[in-house]
Amino acid sequence: MTGVTTGVTTGFTLGDTEVVDTFAEAFPMRYARVVITGATDAWALEAARSMTGFATSVIGCKCEAAIERSLIADETPDGRPGISVLLFAMDREGVGKRIVERVGQSVMTCPTTACFDGLPGAERTAPLGGTLRYFGDGFQASKVIGGRRFWRIPVMEGEFLVSESVGVGQGVGGGNVVIGAGDEDAALAAAQAAADAMRGEGIALPFPGGIVRSGSKVGSLTSKSMPASTNHQMAPTLRAQIADTLVPDGVGALFEIVIDGVSEEAVREAMRRGLHAAAGAGATHVTAANFGGKLGEFHFPLSELRDPP
Amino acid sequence: MTLTLTLRTKPPARVRAAPLIPELLRGLNASSVAALLLRCGGETVAVGDLFEVSGAGSEDEALVLGGDLRGFDWIGAGMVSGELEVHGDVGDWAGAEMAGGVLRIHGDAGARLGSAFPGTRAGMTGGEIVVTGDAGEEAGAGMRRGLIAVSGQTAAGTGLRMLAGTVIALGGIGDEAGLGNKRGSLASGRTLEPLPSYAYATRFRPPALRLQLLRVRELGLPVDDALLRGGWARWSGDRTELGRGEILVFDEENGSR
Repeated sequence: MTGVTTGVTTGFTLGDTEVVDTFAEAFPMRYARVVITGATDAWALEAARSMTGFATSVIGCKCEAAIERSLIADETPDGRPGISVLLFAMDREGVGKRIVERVGQSVMTCPTTACFDGLPGAERTAPLGGTLRYFGDGFQASKVIGGRRFWRIPVMEGEFLVSESVGVGQGVGGGNVVIGAGDEDAALAAAQAAADAMRGEGIALPFPGGIVRSGSKVGSLTSKSMPASTNHQMAPTLRAQIADTLVPDGVGALFEIVIDGVSEEAVREAMRRGLHAAAGAGATHVTAANFGGKLGEFHFPLSELRDPP
Repeated sequence: MTLTLTLRTKPPARVRAAPLIPELLRGLNASSVAALLLRCGGETVAVGDLFEVSGAGSEDEALVLGGDLRGFDWIGAGMVSGELEVHGDVGDWAGAEMAGGVLRIHGDAGARLGSAFPGTRAGMTGGEIVVTGDAGEEAGAGMRRGLIAVSGQTAAGTGLRMLAGTVIALGGIGDEAGLGNKRGSLASGRTLEPLPSYAYATRFRPPALRLQLLRVRELGLPVDDALLRGGWARWSGDRTELGRGEILVFDEENGSR
């Protein structure tokens, strides 16, 4: 740990955890919420996991999606156990295309499920059942129930019931915290504690287990065509090799938690929960990723997250 | 404030009550409502001569009628919005050609509940009718959209020439149901013998009906959990017509899985 100069300045400390004086940078995104119900919570979860698979980063997957929370029977439109899923994309058209693909392939196909709009009354909408109904090959039927239209698509099990459309809201994508500790095990334990604390209503953590170990930067040093490449400044193995490392002294591994939320406030509060949970679970450092502040509309300085949730 | 009309005098002849719907009484005070004229047999009669009127036509469009209204036909007919609540039995043609809003009848309904006017093809085109008692013949005749839910039974001819929409009778749909039905859904909480022009398809748990039954429960009818959880037999018809309609019959035997 000698001979390396980092550009890292500590903003404040929480116990033994140093919180770096930096900010997370995030972007406006559009999102939809669907409520998937099933005969059992296990089948609803199967559909939700399938639907939110390979939806980690909008760059590579065209959308970001995650399970928001599980719902008890009383909370769902059809009185069965369910899961709410949030799906984010850059615009309403993107949300509309991805939601049709994913509900069509992962929910309609899944035994016992039904799929409902989780943002009823939203000003803007995108068709869901209105497009998927064509799978019914002319045998589909619609019902207006309580003022909302649903499609009944006959399938081998019986019928798949799906909302005509989903509401599309304006959210925030790309909030983050980066959690470091002396070695991989300690850093991962702290990151897992943070991810657990951050999940909740209005929040999607799109990466596996909510955690990304390969944080990226925009563009690349070696190629003009690469949209993103490794965040080499936060790679511990390079800290003695590059001049501008951001890996703090004593840190052996870093994990990032990327947060998409339904509002700036939801993202900020999730970051606050994560930061304090990580500090209480052995993180030696908490920092955040940004692009110099020029790209993202939303800035979340870690200094504003000092008060516990 | 809700506008409330309580019957105090039995009318001398049948009364055509179609003007007593929320959207027509919106913003009227009690004395203006009392001065409105209704057809009564070959004569007209003032609302105030038959009813005790209290409150005023409200912004939220809630209207309450009370009393033995079996001599009143066309209650809630042509309604497009708001809520009309009736405490007592009603005559024929209640909710006929209704297009929106909610009509709640705490009592029995007469014939042609939510049906098409004489000579017209399409009946109810939207809204919800809830009856806590029984309904008479040809409920939902010509229905195009919307929901009729009856806690008791419907009499013969339910869903006659129905185009689409849903009629649910928790206590059972009457005989000769769905004659000429194109796309409509009839759901019967009791066993029935469908017309020969209906063909048995399968037993299943219909997800859309489940949602509708939950809506019916929300509207105040006592929907048994068994109906939500259980299996229903699907009969397709009327095959002398388009044949895309259905009669769903609760199947207790094969119900709870």
